[in-house]
Amino acid sequence: MPVFESSDKAVRIFSELFTILLKDETFTQRMRESGISLHLIQVKPDVELFVTPDGVNVGAPPAPAAIRIKMSSDTAHSLWLGKLLMPVALATGKVRIKGSVAKVLEFVPLLQPAFDQYPTIAAEDGLPV
Amino acid sequence: MSDTAFHSAPVDFLAEPPQIQELRARVREFVDKDVRPRVADNDRAPAEEFDWELVRLGHEAGLLRLVVPKEYGGLGLGVLGVAVALEEIAAACAGTALIFGATLLGQAPVLLSSDPRLQARFLPLFSGDNPVLACNAITEDQAGCDLLIPQNAEHATDVVQARRDGDSYLLTGRKRFITNARLAEFGSVYANIEGHPGATGLTAFIVPLDSPGVTRGPVADKLGYRACLGSELLFDNVRVPAENVVGGEGNGMLINIQQMNMARATVAAISTGVARGAFDLAKDWCAERVQGGVPLHQHQFTARKLAEMTSKVEAARLMYLKAAQAADTEIPAPAYEPATAKLFADQVAIEVAQEAMSLMGARGYLRENAMEKFVRESFGARIYEGTPEVLALAITEALYAEDDF
Repeated sequence: MPVFESSDKAVRIFSELFTILLKDETFTQRMRESGISLHLIQVKPDVELFVTPDGVNVGAPPAPAAIRIKMSSDTAHSLWLGKLLMPVALATGKVRIKGSVAKVLEFVPLLQPAFDQYPTIAAEDGLPV
Repeated sequence: MSDTAFHSAPVDFLAEPPQIQELRARVREFVDKDVRPRVADNDRAPAEEFDWELVRLGHEAGLLRLVVPKEYGGLGLGVLGVAVALEEIAAACAGTALIFGATLLGQAPVLLSSDPRLQARFLPLFSGDNPVLACNAITEDQAGCDLLIPQNAEHATDVVQARRDGDSYLLTGRKRFITNARLAEFGSVYANIEGHPGATGLTAFIVPLDSPGVTRGPVADKLGYRACLGSELLFDNVRVPAENVVGGEGNGMLINIQQMNMARATVAAISTGVARGAFDLAKDWCAERVQGGVPLHQHQFTARKLAEMTSKVEAARLMYLKAAQAADTEIPAPAYEPATAKLFADQVAIEVAQEAMSLMGARGYLRENAMEKFVRESFGARIYEGTPEVLALAITEALYAEDDF
């Protein structure tokens, strides 16, 4: 049984998560300086987001993003809750990333506010935490 | 910054980016000026001798921080940068190349940890005034492949043990054949959590090697790769804080597989360098040596051999470049490209070195020429970071893997 009952709900929650991240000036500034954009692809249910320092867009980017992350929505839920460790998710292939590994290594630590916020967002939407 | 900066450029593995071309030229200069004059002395020195001055010169050329992100003082040139540098060094001395390659291996779990605190503690060490080495401690007396292949884990015996004790772990046991262990500042050490059979609880720890209870054991007297030191590491109740664990308890084999997939492209580059070094000597000899009134290379049999040898070197280089670029653009690091590159390049090193020695005749067999060293060293890379048998399993597993997305 997937954690998210519908694609719409998953899109709404993950859009909200990245919108919160983009409110952090440090985060957007680092994205701009490093030329980072993010194409998030989740399956079961499907979510596709394109995140730039200027905003979160639903759907595919107009051209390949600097970083493309692919995982299932259940994996995303476990990851942001901190129940699945990022190195393990990457090593097992539950999360797959394409793009400059140097940029990814730079980017991942910047996501900490999302780890801090996600349990609250998920709980407010009635998801298991 | 234009919008296009936020999109990735297609990777063209046939073209080395400008910064990599600059690196290749810079390392070639370091090799010609500093490595080549020392190759024979370092090869013939007693096993325990180590040329710190050469490492210092390599450090000045940036060779210990090639893969370290720029924010920690590194060059941020990725696996591709390391691979290209190691080919250049190995074309003169594979052992010297491995000093720097083993340091990358030791750094890799810190890079893979996604843990900014761990990275901030350990990565800036490589950008200081003095050279700092790292090592990767996985191999043990009774466990080699058993610590690399998940299906083998339950059969591993005598693995270094880690016992949880409050906010830290106590490590006890012995590692063998660890390159740089004698000299490294810290090691990425793999130990099995107490109570788990075999190596099923294998866990990656970052261990400062000046910790109480660490003993650096005797140096192995090797056939080749004598410029780098391989030795034992002994742990006697060594206390390691829990924050030094990479990837959580029991996930060591996953971290190690990632690390290997990154490293195999660079080992393929070392083998390519060994093949190239041997080939270059044979090529020069075949131009200089006259038999039947013409240089050797004008004899058809010799020409055929030279053509095949250079083709193999070129193919090995393309394969490691492709593998390194894949490792720099995919997480998890791909298994297939690095394993195929290493399998091929390791074999090429042996074939080209043997053929090159044969072309040089008696002179190739003399210790006063560098050829015999290339032959000895050509066999080295088949042993570390995956034997042909282990690589074959990794390659076929990738061939039949199903994409679950």
